Amino acid sequence: MNPAAPRHALIAHFGSLRTTLACMGLLGAAAFAGQAGGGFGVVALSTAIALLAVNLLAALVVHPAFRRQLPLLVFHLALLALVVLVGLGRLSSLDGRFELAQGVDFDGRLIESSAGAWHRDGLAKLAFRHDGFEIDYAPGRKRGATRNRVTWHEADGTPRSAVIGDHRPLIIDGYRIYTSPNKGFAPMLTWTPQQGEPVSGTVHLPAFPMHELRQSREWMLPDGRVAWVLLQIDETLIDPAAAARFRMPEQHRLVLRMDPMRTELRPGQSVQIEGGTLTYVGLRSWMGYRVSYDPTLPWLLAAALLAALSLAWHYTQRFFFPARVAAAAAARGPLHGAVDA
Amino acid sequence: MPDAMLLWAALASYALVALMAVPAMGLPWRSRTRRAQAVAALALAAALALHTLSLGLRWSTLGHGPFTTMHEILSSNLWSLALVFALAWWAVRELRGALLLVMPVLATLAVWLLMADARPGHLPPTYATPLLYLHTLVGKLYLGLLLVATALGLVPALRRTAWGAARCAGLPDDRRFDELAHRFAAYALVFDTLMLIVGAVWAQDAWGRYWAWDPLETWAFASWLALAAALHARATLRPAPAVFGLWLAGVFVLAFLTFFGVPFISTAPHKGAV
Repeated sequence: MNPAAPRHALIAHFGSLRTTLACMGLLGAAAFAGQAGGGFGVVALSTAIALLAVNLLAALVVHPAFRRQLPLLVFHLALLALVVLVGLGRLSSLDGRFELAQGVDFDGRLIESSAGAWHRDGLAKLAFRHDGFEIDYAPGRKRGATRNRVTWHEADGTPRSAVIGDHRPLIIDGYRIYTSPNKGFAPMLTWTPQQGEPVSGTVHLPAFPMHELRQSREWMLPDGRVAWVLLQIDETLIDPAAAARFRMPEQHRLVLRMDPMRTELRPGQSVQIEGGTLTYVGLRSWMGYRVSYDPTLPWLLAAALLAALSLAWHYTQRFFFPARVAAAAAARGPLHGAVDA
Repeated sequence: MPDAMLLWAALASYALVALMAVPAMGLPWRSRTRRAQAVAALALAAALALHTLSLGLRWSTLGHGPFTTMHEILSSNLWSLALVFALAWWAVRELRGALLLVMPVLATLAVWLLMADARPGHLPPTYATPLLYLHTLVGKLYLGLLLVATALGLVPALRRTAWGAARCAGLPDDRRFDELAHRFAAYALVFDTLMLIVGAVWAQDAWGRYWAWDPLETWAFASWLALAAALHARATLRPAPAVFGLWLAGVFVLAFLTFFGVPFISTAPHKGAV
């Protein structure tokens, strides 16, 4: 008995089109299992995709006819490339979110993130800043276009600027930075201690207009004491009954409470408290951003388009030029299996 | 509203097409059958012309295409399915006997459209991109081609009933319908693939991720997989034409639910038109 026979039989079994159908069924079930949440869906999807990849590789070995049909071969190899690229992309990717106040440089710190094992963090080098934004609202406060002005410096120091928003991300060093619906007001405060250097910072109040009636937040002074601030806006900023635009309030006060003290500040005003002076510098805006990094994106698109085009090529050849296909196949030799989906 | 009146006129013409569906399925050499097919073709052309005017007028009035509300989605899909069917009807003679098999889908959309709220919706900011038009175009071609494939594929299944055997007696044999259904289903898969690709590119720019397995993406992928599996199974298992037709009908039901069911019941971020 040929010692290679059992191995060949196993490969033939894995490479059969019936196995493909079984794996497709498994992949469909795994896709819906992923909807239930938890880690099971990821494991089931990965397993099904891995089985389909093995099935395809085995089919390439055991079906010479498969290898002879170039468009069909290209289609399946493109699918295989997609699987590999998605895997590589996940390993090297970063997804996260952060908030940035107007006029403040991004320091590379994220509020939430998930990164692949191979990702090397290069966020700190981005150092862009946003210089304010405009958001249109239709009647009923239905959000329209976002236009966010951003500036940054190239590696050689060249200053750059752009307007980003919605589906126009800022792309620096492969990182794609997107605006989000999350945005609001950020009072800027300066704490001048009796001894030492002044420290400035912004307090990001809850998103506006979503939390219009809850524009308050606790904040911690550099010495660890807790302060509570409330932005009192004395005008209607986004009229729900008309078309409007996100804008900074012209008439507002900042209510500051540090028990038992309570005071109201306008931009530029200060209050003396134990250990130093707190100055309300003025009101800024903040924008919530999403950041993603995946170096495989252009290759994924290329592989996906190649798959679609080769599929179209295969079917056009098969349906409209069958004689030419048969003649080419006959010239190469007899087929050893039907692969003509 | 003139666009609403035009839409009503279009729906009346679609209703006339539906009335002709049974007589148009008779023996092709009978004058009654040919007359019914001619009336159906004229009514379909009139319905499409009126419907195109209605959609165009609404687009011009609102400043955006039919992409935002259930009413608009149903209307534009009724139009696109009817258009793809009409073009296929003109190009593929065999399809003229399968009008009855397409009408339940068009009638469902038309009746649903009558019940949908026609008030205008808000165009989300992420829709201001050429990808919207490309995604919609390839999606409509996919569903239209799949509908035609299903109608052609179901003729052999219909022939297995006594009524269908009598009605379809003068039509070409099952293998011809099977072959035609295969062709349309194959190109439906190509356009479905393109729809997923364009959707992924759009999702990357709109939401910062190209695929997240949200309910709509999961159902769209399942529809693609089901169609790919049906075509694979046709090559592997060599099913009878009637069986392949029933598989395609199953795939169409899945695709129909993906287009018109999931986006309107899902509360996940990718809600389609809502």
